Amino acid sequence: MIRALPIVSFCFLVLGGVYLAGSLELPMGSAARPGAGLYPFLVGITLVALSAPLFIRSLRLKETQQEKTEPFPRGKDRQRVMAVAATLFFFVVLLKPLGYIICSIALMGAILRLLGLRSWGKVVLTSIFTTAISYYLFFSILGVPLPPGIFSF
Amino acid sequence: MDALQGLAYGFGVALSGPNLLACFIGVLVGTIVGVLPGIGPIGAMALLIPSTFALGPTTALIMLAGIYYGSMYGGSTTTILINVPGEAASVVTAIDGYQMAKKGRAGAALAVSAVGSFVAGTLGIVALMFFAPPLAELALEFGPPEYFALTLVGLILLSRLGGGSVFKSFLMVGLGLLLGTVGMEPISGLPRFTFGQLELGQGVELVPVAMGLYGIGEVLMIVERITGIPQMIKVKFRELFPTVAEWKRAFPPMLRGGGVGFLIGLIPGPAAILSTFASYALEKKISKHPEEFGKGAIEGVAGPESANNSATAGAMVPLLALGVPFAPATAMLLGALVIHGVQPGPLLMTQQPEIFWGVVASMYIGNVVLLILNLPLVGVFASILRLPQHLLMGLILLLCLVGTYSVNNSLLDLYILIGMGGVGYFLRKLKFDMAPLILALVLGPMLEKTLRQSLFMMRGDVWAICVRPIAGTLLLIALLSIVLPPVIHLIKRK
Repeated sequence: MIRALPIVSFCFLVLGGVYLAGSLELPMGSAARPGAGLYPFLVGITLVALSAPLFIRSLRLKETQQEKTEPFPRGKDRQRVMAVAATLFFFVVLLKPLGYIICSIALMGAILRLLGLRSWGKVVLTSIFTTAISYYLFFSILGVPLPPGIFSF
Repeated sequence: MDALQGLAYGFGVALSGPNLLACFIGVLVGTIVGVLPGIGPIGAMALLIPSTFALGPTTALIMLAGIYYGSMYGGSTTTILINVPGEAASVVTAIDGYQMAKKGRAGAALAVSAVGSFVAGTLGIVALMFFAPPLAELALEFGPPEYFALTLVGLILLSRLGGGSVFKSFLMVGLGLLLGTVGMEPISGLPRFTFGQLELGQGVELVPVAMGLYGIGEVLMIVERITGIPQMIKVKFRELFPTVAEWKRAFPPMLRGGGVGFLIGLIPGPAAILSTFASYALEKKISKHPEEFGKGAIEGVAGPESANNSATAGAMVPLLALGVPFAPATAMLLGALVIHGVQPGPLLMTQQPEIFWGVVASMYIGNVVLLILNLPLVGVFASILRLPQHLLMGLILLLCLVGTYSVNNSLLDLYILIGMGGVGYFLRKLKFDMAPLILALVLGPMLEKTLRQSLFMMRGDVWAICVRPIAGTLLLIALLSIVLPPVIHLIKRK
């Protein structure tokens, strides 16, 4: 099994390092006239100082000694989580080109199917219905300019 | 303005049409998200912040605060009926609440937790009313060094008290502070960490981050183990009346829970959750029948359910008196105030009394509404759980997406939202706590501003900050809270 904690703490370490390097390019100022870089510099040091020991400790400890973490799902459960995440991602990518109405219907349809609604009829009806309500609420009442996409004539 | 005058004025504000409606909507939404696992008060507040843009700041705060304390009522319902805590602050209630339900006393448990919430919630507001104004007066003396120290102590104590690994909590603080520095630098306007993206100049907004971590992240956790509709214990209205003996046993824990909750609410940390554990431990310790705990002791329901409500009132004190939130939910309230152009701080009470007293008065009203919503109508809310999971999760996801988009009409916010959703899911699995991140994101800019102002004021002399009495004491507390626990641990091991 892949151990997640070392990977995550390594990501934190890299993030902290890159951020620290970035902060050094900002004007540091002096102690009496601190510049824009001072505070990010302190934050970067804190991040590195915290994630380095966590990373080292997570490597040294054996799986059984690790602090309690929840196992990641496998098989069908993992596929479902990934499919839902992918659905969200495609919604955001396609929102501008295709428009809200199509994206929302597709999102609801996909989620309903993925989470176990069997009947296609119900899937289609529910997604159209929820899209209509959300469109009315956000576009017509609250005046949010939802992207029209291909419906912009 | 003394407290009674202020309260009379506040009721004038809170009883106006729009504010009354906002209070009602707030507590209603709070009850619903309290009942629903998967979305909690923070996600719901993030979701509704955009819809408050058209409202005034007082109305907005009344509604958002209503969600916060309202969710404490709703959380107990599912805990008692199906042993699924609707909120983290109701986990403790599950121990004895579900046992009571199995013995056929579900109605009594629900009634006791609703009444306890009301009693302690109201006591908490009374304490808030008398406690906040003098604190604000004291805070008028605060300069940038004091605010810097206060913010720092808040962040450190929150990470210390949140439970779980301290390293992990501090890392989350670091991540939150990091995200807080993205965008235009406040003093010189220099863009920082924007990678040339104009949109990032605005900074990383609170709404997509909170909604991603608490909305999408939670939904992904639920999606992992999607189950059917849980079996619920049916409650008849008649059964909602506890017996005289039960009342007698439940009443003192309500008052004690109220006291414990308020005090814990003042301390930085996930106040509502901590207060329930503290109250449960207290009740078990002083009980004459400690063996009954875990088998359906009514004190184990009354105490914690009361404590989490007065904790929400306690948590409002630092926000309204100092302008510094110490809990993630009050951080959301601060975020909302800032969006509405209100400068939170000790002057809020005198310069914009309608906000402080209006919110306080609305909390009294909200608690009465909540008692009505959660006693006779408890069955209505429990039946929300009969909605199929796929529909609920689909709706929550859609609301998160549209809600985030509606804040700035920005696609970048949507990418931040789903990115944070993924981060929230992974880190939750690895038992990282999200609260420090949210708080650090909100407090980060304040921390930087006060640090730089302090250094400027003291001409770069760090020691001059440490010898100011209030700032020095606060910094000492911060230092001790980092150094002491490992030292004590070492001594104990020897």
